[in-house]
Formats: sequence, structure tokens, C-alpha cells
Amino acid sequence: MSHQPVAIVGIGQTHHKRKRADVSMAGLVREAAQRALEDANMNWSDIDAVVLGKAPDFFEGVMKPEMYLADALGAVNKPMFRVHTAGSVGGSTGIVASHLVSSGRHKRVLAVAFEKQSEGNAQFALGGGKGASIGAGGAFAPFIRSYIQRSGAPEDIGWMVAVKDRLNGAKNPYAHLKLADITIDKVKESPMMWDPLRFLESCPSSDGACAVVFTDEDGGKAASKPPAWVLATAMKSEPGWYSGRDPVNPQAAHACAQEIYKAVGITNPREQIDCAELYVPFSWYEPMWLEAHEIAAPGEGWKMTQSGATALDGDFPVNMSGGVLSSNPIGASGLLRFAEAALQVRGQAEDHQVGGAKLAIAQAYGANAQFFAMWAVGSSLNPLG
Amino acid sequence: MADTVQEFVFNLTFPFSRTLGSTLSTFSSAIAQGQIIGVRTGGRVIAPPLEYDPDTAEDSGTDWVCVGPKGTVSSWTWVPEPTNLHPLDHAFGFAFITLDGADTPMIHIVDAGSESAMSAGMRVEAKFKAPADCAGRIDDIIAFVPASDPAPSEGAGEPFEAPAENEITEMDAFSDLRYIDNASPTTIMWAEALMEGRIIGQKCPQCARTIVGPRGMCSVCAIELDESHVVEVPDRGVVSNFTIVTPTPYPGQTETEPFARCSILLDGADAVIAQQEILDVPVNEIRVGIHVECVWAPENERSAKDIDNRSRGSGGDIIVGWRTTGEPDEPADRYLDRMM
Repeated sequence: MSHQPVAIVGIGQTHHKRKRADVSMAGLVREAAQRALEDANMNWSDIDAVVLGKAPDFFEGVMKPEMYLADALGAVNKPMFRVHTAGSVGGSTGIVASHLVSSGRHKRVLAVAFEKQSEGNAQFALGGGKGASIGAGGAFAPFIRSYIQRSGAPEDIGWMVAVKDRLNGAKNPYAHLKLADITIDKVKESPMMWDPLRFLESCPSSDGACAVVFTDEDGGKAASKPPAWVLATAMKSEPGWYSGRDPVNPQAAHACAQEIYKAVGITNPREQIDCAELYVPFSWYEPMWLEAHEIAAPGEGWKMTQSGATALDGDFPVNMSGGVLSSNPIGASGLLRFAEAALQVRGQAEDHQVGGAKLAIAQAYGANAQFFAMWAVGSSLNPLG
Repeated sequence: MADTVQEFVFNLTFPFSRTLGSTLSTFSSAIAQGQIIGVRTGGRVIAPPLEYDPDTAEDSGTDWVCVGPKGTVSSWTWVPEPTNLHPLDHAFGFAFITLDGADTPMIHIVDAGSESAMSAGMRVEAKFKAPADCAGRIDDIIAFVPASDPAPSEGAGEPFEAPAENEITEMDAFSDLRYIDNASPTTIMWAEALMEGRIIGQKCPQCARTIVGPRGMCSVCAIELDESHVVEVPDRGVVSNFTIVTPTPYPGQTETEPFARCSILLDGADAVIAQQEILDVPVNEIRVGIHVECVWAPENERSAKDIDNRSRGSGGDIIVGWRTTGEPDEPADRYLDRMM
């Protein structure tokens, strides 16, 4: 099967906050979409199809919001798709939109992902509407305990990630949390939420949206600003629960990474990839995902964090945007990762730019660490030369 | 097993809230004052106003227009027997009503007395709640009623001067969802075994994994499992991992203090039962490696009513929890990776 090259020519996001009291749900998604269209130098009428992603409808209590939002996103008389793959949905939304272009079916596609968490309560929704919800933190805490034990990582690794991502977030004008004065001591003295995870090692709950405009090779070459090229995409799923499953090291994560690296010709991810946006809602997921996505060898991920390699000025920056730890409108969080990778290779990440970034990856995961989405983007179609 | 539940009733209620954004805030704040408005965009007046032109998605702007309170029905349907979820307790019509001064219809209800009083083209007018009861919601208009005078509304089509700050910017959206789920064959199997004081699983003949809480399939091998694959597993084991949750408040939350949920690797079974509570260890002393045994409710107090298709592996009220056996702890590193 042949694929057409796909270019990202427009990126937009909202200012993320605990509560965006100034906008409706339609206003929220339009704010991101209009920024992306402006960035692409396009109008609503230039778009051929719209792809909308968000996490469970129960978060806001609006069932099938794609119906309510179709005309708000300019989809009248155009195809509209709804994507849902739990926390990875933002990534999947971008991938589905890119496929509509790579297949040759559409020329210009708008992907939008959002969550307006302040309208409901994620703990309530994740607990199926019952009391004693363990929430995402409670579900992932045992995985993290297992990772810490098997890797032999010192306890301050999680605190270091929490500080590093918040310092990056403080450089991102759109981030929800801008904790420029965060310190290791503040993290380790913050309340224990889901042992071993402390409050400041956990993501916030945010209102926000992200939008990306995709186009074909001609459109990318004609764009007024440098495009990012989608070099490879991968989505993998696995059962959330079976006897003996190892959610610290999911097969789906490895399979995504292997597919991406093979497609792009990456043989040494640490050396060849300039920076990465990984879905890190709780601090310890940085070293866990560095290993599960084969950037670090097993048991070595935390050493990248410890050495400063993953800092903005390190040799393998991770979560330059501040990541999920700085902004978490759940349904949008994956697309925000994917969009930040594209911003980096376009050279448009401003204060959180990695100098000379030519090849970046982004990843998102969802549900019981069972849905994975990943892509690689480049400043050219062949950034490895 | 007479006591086994065959169906479950779920009630999901939650007080969602909506932020309105500037356009709907303007509409809500106006309607609370007894004034219905629209917005002039793309050469027509849309009422109620949208923040975007539905045809082009362009911003619809702030050229507000007074519309109504009278209008014309363009299409309708009759509700002869309202339920308790309908806005009126007697027969009424749902209708598209194009308000005077507007170019697009809105949906509302017409309290016309009888179906024979309804017609396309009929003139109706808004009947508002008492001003003190108006909250900026669409049901501040109790209903439209046949207009006493078909003449055009006074002031319709005039510009509406919005206040500098809208009074109403948010709205409650209370949700109340009730549905019924039938017990699956594997749920019945699970509940019946628990009632007899047995924990069962299904063992996959291909991969030899035991799934505690039968599912009727192996999710790894994707093959069907049936009653012939049912195995009984021990009601004793070792805590292999756990989570301690600091509860946050939300409507329906039952917990106020930190609570622990444990995975237990059952003795000799290579099978984990998850999300279990240890009764006799304080939350801050929960650790990997503790030997525990199941605490069953007395036979005459067992009830399967809290066992449903979703809480697969949950003991409902039948498994009260687990207690320590007093045996020395096992080394944590031998168990910790068995989260599942």
C-alpha cells in the first residue's frame, strides 16, 4: 500500500486551566481550532474533514459531543469522525486525521481533541459512578511500585521528573501549571496521594483543547511556515487485565516503538531522536516509558532522568512543553504531546525549543496502560539524511 | 441458588455544570429578564443565538436582536401521554417556533390544550415563569400558548443592548441515568460459587492462565472458556501489590480516610484476585508479602446483590475482606510484579 506524505501546517491550543469559566465547550474547541487554522493560514472552508477526540463522555456528562460540536467545528456537509481510546485518544485522533491525508482521501484535515473536566469529576467517572474510586493514580501506583523495585531506582527520581516538567511548563505560555519556584523539597513534602505518588508528582485536572491541521505534500511545500512531516504512526492495543500481565512493560508499547523506529530507520533512538513528548501523568512514567519504548535499556531509564539527559538542555529532552504533569485536559493530552513534537521540528516552540530539533517522537497511552499511540515527526521527510 | 441476582439496576446521578461562554451567557441573562434574543449573522437572525454561524463556522458576533415573545409554529408533534421526564404533566406539543424578528426556528413546547388546536402556521406566545423564579434557563418559558392577538410582537427585530457583564455565566446540568443490566452466565457462576464459600476461576487450556472471576474467554488466547474450564482456587494467598488511595470528595464518594486495595496472589494457583481489602492491617502498614486468608460473611448473611457484570472478581458483600494468617512475610521482590 502506498502512502502519501503528510505535513502538519497548523497547530493551536487553548490556554489550559483548572476551569475555563469564560467559554462553553464549543468555545473551547473553537479556540484551539481557530489558532490552528490561523497558524496554517487557512479558513474553515479550506478543511475537507474533521476528526474529534476526547476521553469518556461521562467526564462532562455530554453524550456523543461530536453531534453537538459538528457545526461548531465547521463539519457541516463534510465527514466528521469521533475517536475514543481513553487517555491515548489525543494521539489516536492525530493519527486518524493523518491517515485521512496519507490515504489520499482528503487534502486538508482538522484534528481536534479536548476535555472540559471542570464540568464533571474524573474520579467519579473513572469509578463508574460509585464511591471509593481508586482513580488513575490508584490504578497506576502498583505499577510504579513494581518499576521502582525492579529497576533499583532511588526514590528521588520521581521528584526530579516532577520538578523538571514543571520548570518546562513554566516556559510554556499555554500550560495550566506554571510552577517556576518548584523544588525537590516541595515535591517530597507534598501530601501522599497514592503511595508512592505524591500530590506534586501527579497531573492536574484541566480544561483545554488542541488542534492540528494536516495536509498533503503539495500543501506542506506551499505552507507559509515550515511544516512538520509525519514520518510514521503506530497504534497498538492489548487486554487491560490478564493473569500475569506486566503493565510496567506492555507489549503494546514495545510494538509501537519498534514499528516507528523501523519505518523511520531509527537504529539508535537515544542518539538519533532529538526530543520526545511522552505521556507522563505521574512522575515515574518518564523512566518507565523510556524503557518500554526502547529509548533506554531495561533498568536504565531512571539514569537518564538522574543525569539530566531528559532536561530541556539535556541530550534527550523529554516533555519540553511541561507534559501532562503541567496540563491535563485528558482527551487533549495525547494530541498536545503529538503537537509539541511537531512544534519542535518546526522550530516554533519558543522558550521551550530544543535547538536544531529535526526528528521528534510523541507517545500517549490510555486505560489500564493498554492503548498506545505514537508518532515520529521530522523537519523534512528524511531527517536522518 | 435462589438468592442469585439475575439483573442489576444502575442509577448514575451527577450534578454536572456548564460554563456558557459569552453568547449563551448573554442569552441566559436576557431570558432571566423575560427577553428572548437572537444574533444577526450571515444576513439572518439566529434565535436562540449560537456563538458560530452553523453553516460556515465563522464567529457569529454580537449583533444582538430582540425576538418574540410571539412566534409562528412551522412544525410540531403531539405528546398525548407525558412521562415524569416531560416538561408538562398533561398532553402538549413539541414545536419548531420561529419567533417574530428571527429567521430560524427554535424548539420549545406548546400548551395548546388539545392536538386539534395545533397547526403549522399557528401564532403562539411565550408564557414566562414569575420574574423571581426565572433563572436564565430555557424553561423560564413554561410553554408557548396560542397567541391571544396574532399581531406582530412589539419590539421584535430591534437591537438588544447587552449589559457590560452578564449576570448568568454557568448552568447546572443534573444528570440522572437509570439502566438495567442482565447478569451474564459467568457472573451467575461466580456469584453462586461465592454464596457457597468458594472462589472460582477459569483455566485456559492453551496458555494455562487462571482467570479469577470467570469471563467465558481467555483474553490472551481469544478462545472461549466454559463450565468445563472452571477451577476452584484457594481462599488464601500473599499480598503481591497494593494501592493506598487518598479519597477526594465527589458526589457519591463513600470514603473520607485513606484506604487500601490489594492484589493477592492465591496460594499455589498462579492467579491474582485484585482490589481486595485487608481488614486487620492499618492502611499505613500494608505491605507486599503478607499472608492473608479470606473472611467470608456468615452463610445466612450472604447476598449476591452487589455482584454485577462489571465488578468481575469482586466479592460483593460475601467476601467481607481478608485477614492476616500470622505466618512470616514472604520476600516482597518475589511477589511485587504480580499486580495482575
